[in-house]
Amino acid sequence: MVKYVLKRIGYMIVTLFAVATITFFLMRSIPGDPLASMARTLPEQTKANFYAKYGLDQPLFNQYLKYMKGLVTLDLGESILYAGRSVSGEIARTSPISGAVGGTALVIGTLIGVCLGIVAALNKNRWPDYIVMFIAILGATIPVFVLASLMQYIFAVKLGVTPASGWGKPEHMILPVIVMSFSSVATYARYIKSSMLDTLNQDYVLTARAKGLSEKKVIFRHVLRNSLLPAVTIFSSSVVGVFTGAFVTERMFSIPGIGFYYITSINNHDYTMVMGTTVFYAVLFIVMQFVVDFVYMVIDPRIRVASDK
Amino acid sequence: MKKRWLALLLTGVMALSLTACGGGDKKSEGEGKGGDEGGGQYINTYLAAEPTTMDVSLRSDTYSSEIMMNVMEGLIRIEQRDGKYEVMPGDAESWEVNDEGNVWTFHLGEDRKWNDGEPVTAEQYVYSLQRSADPATGCPNSYFVSPILNYDAVSTGEKPVEELGVKALDEHTLEITLTSPMASFLESTDASIFYPQRKDIVEKYGDQYGAEAANLVYNGPFVLTEWNHNSSLRIEKNDQYWDKDNVDLDYVDYQILKDTTSIANAYDSGQIDFITVSSQEQLQKYEADDSNVLTNISGGTISFQFYNTTDPIMSNVNIRKAFSLGVDIEDMNEIGFSGLREPLYGWIAPALSVDGKSMREVAGDTNKELKEELEASGKTAKDVLIEGMKELGLGDDPSKLDVTYSLAGTDDWYHTFGEYLQQVYKESLGINLKIDFSEWDIFSDNLTNGNYQIGFMAWGAYYNDPYDMLSIHLSDFNQISSNWKNEEYDALCRAGMTEMDPEKRMQNYVDAERILMEDYVACPFATSVSHQFSKSYVHDKYAEYGQDNLYFIHPGWKNVYVEGR
Repeated sequence: MVKYVLKRIGYMIVTLFAVATITFFLMRSIPGDPLASMARTLPEQTKANFYAKYGLDQPLFNQYLKYMKGLVTLDLGESILYAGRSVSGEIARTSPISGAVGGTALVIGTLIGVCLGIVAALNKNRWPDYIVMFIAILGATIPVFVLASLMQYIFAVKLGVTPASGWGKPEHMILPVIVMSFSSVATYARYIKSSMLDTLNQDYVLTARAKGLSEKKVIFRHVLRNSLLPAVTIFSSSVVGVFTGAFVTERMFSIPGIGFYYITSINNHDYTMVMGTTVFYAVLFIVMQFVVDFVYMVIDPRIRVASDK
Repeated sequence: MKKRWLALLLTGVMALSLTACGGGDKKSEGEGKGGDEGGGQYINTYLAAEPTTMDVSLRSDTYSSEIMMNVMEGLIRIEQRDGKYEVMPGDAESWEVNDEGNVWTFHLGEDRKWNDGEPVTAEQYVYSLQRSADPATGCPNSYFVSPILNYDAVSTGEKPVEELGVKALDEHTLEITLTSPMASFLESTDASIFYPQRKDIVEKYGDQYGAEAANLVYNGPFVLTEWNHNSSLRIEKNDQYWDKDNVDLDYVDYQILKDTTSIANAYDSGQIDFITVSSQEQLQKYEADDSNVLTNISGGTISFQFYNTTDPIMSNVNIRKAFSLGVDIEDMNEIGFSGLREPLYGWIAPALSVDGKSMREVAGDTNKELKEELEASGKTAKDVLIEGMKELGLGDDPSKLDVTYSLAGTDDWYHTFGEYLQQVYKESLGINLKIDFSEWDIFSDNLTNGNYQIGFMAWGAYYNDPYDMLSIHLSDFNQISSNWKNEEYDALCRAGMTEMDPEKRMQNYVDAERILMEDYVACPFATSVSHQFSKSYVHDKYAEYGQDNLYFIHPGWKNVYVEGR
């Protein structure tokens, strides 16, 4: 067990190193630089002074080494676009905001989705099933920006019950949470339905019923527990998604989260900010993967046996 | 969790009961006024992106400039009175220029203060310009200050910053020496890079200077009191401002809103008082409703196509002529730009003037004249193209000519525009035009490397002098990479720039533009117009709303008040 954990941590470090390296060189291979939007109006000297200030005049490999050194010492540097703001400070400021909105949406969306999925599975090919699947298809197909705009129009413009957009008060959360939870509802409803139908056809369910267990006990003790397994996998990636922020939703509702920031940074060639955010995402993702594997071991005895070998 | 959800719903209901009497979600307390006066003197508006920084020496984006012009005061203010430009006192009460036109003296008012009560001094102006010129600062916005004596040598580090041509003669007298005379210098000092800075504040906050609302002092009509990054800003009236009696608004709230649909929804729900529209659809929607007032601001930004004069095909002036005259500019504006811009017939946009006279009026509709000349000679643009092809030995079949048009964008608008161009040139010249779509950065690289034939771009004037736009084509500037060189043109531009006599200046500029137009280096299409709607309770003391606003005024919110909200 200890050996297994250590091995996993070793893999994590290698993966992170690879992600950081690839991102660094990919970012630099994009045409343009932080001055690209003004490049046509600036005198050479002005550009040279600017590059020198941020060390962009050094050979690329030296910049890479400097960056890696910073990474090891947990110093992500300063934003190029926003003078005087440290990258780690910006991540610390923006990711909790994304987390608050996304987390609320995820929890609400997952709960509703799981319930709907169960209802659909137990009423297969009857009207509740059709309604749930209709909702699921809507949630999966309507683009977020359409849904967001529609919600703003209904609740803010027509009814005037919520602000159309903005951040800072509790009521600013309402619309973005509705919009963001919609896709979770759709995803989980479909997942749970199919895995539950799968489980219902298993031999042990037949055995349980043959033993004369009540339907309630069969569903809750045997079927549900086994049907939730696949949901754990997608839940883990959803959790990462929560902190990485939903770019479109944040943009539409002008929520100062990390997703909004990330895209702005890429568009403006804010190298340090993009690198820092990418590494942050990677760490989240890798750690989350590890946690998922761990949870699997806890809930699925078959995996536990395999990993102990 | 469930409980929290309920609480959220409840706050929503409470918010509803508040908005019902306020219109827009405003703070319910601390407003002071209220009732049927329509609330206090405040404005809710938006910015399309987060300002990068409030550091005078490091900012260069339009969003920070929108804030800076309200919270800072420069030497002068350019405002509009009765439809004309008027240079008003800022920190400077008066100013004069020597006979030669290269030494400007500004006399600062003794009652000018910062919001912390410290006086504004000439030394702070000197320090600010020196800081921007210092190569260690890495200032990205040197455009306006390069005419100052020794700026270039200081910015390369050849000379110390003390050598820069700015001096404080005494506490309230600032002297700026230029490399050569420049009649338009006074108006160019309206730029933010001329704002004063306080050495003690810069040193106190170091790297963090200008990064937060509190890390700065202000000498303008307003003070930045809140800056929630990527979300909102608030500016409040500055009690220490020298002209505070003429400032009516208590505060202005900015929300950072990027998405056009969200902006429209925010405006429609009363959350913001202003909206700038970018489609004919929206324009008509808001024009139809009397509770909106339209203000057009036009004249400073132009859209044009330009040619790589070192490209084997485009090096031929007849071929360039054919491409310039093969476009119907009115049709282009109607269809290509959906009627949101104004047709333009010369390189210099209507807003640019010499001594208050619009150069466009003096120079006339050059492009129209050139077209009429061609028609009078009984030829078509296609004939001119074939002439050019023969000169190059390319035969006489335009459909076989291989020309690629580069566009700096990949979204729907550019694709539609590209198809429109293909159709136009197919009809008028019989050419099978290829279109190359790329993002700006790649497009920009291609221009620099001469890897293009025809390009399309927009360019905004920085300050009110035709030289500002003409200088783009100077042989050693070559800012749009047309690689065009013309000594006569260079000489005329430089002569106009340093000429103090308005009539001679105008003539120099008109002659220069003529050379540019007759050599078909670029073909102007349109002047951009910004269509801004505001709620009818927003008023401006000096402008009848609904009229066109001049392009180069920067009054900020100083002259705005609210009545009947």
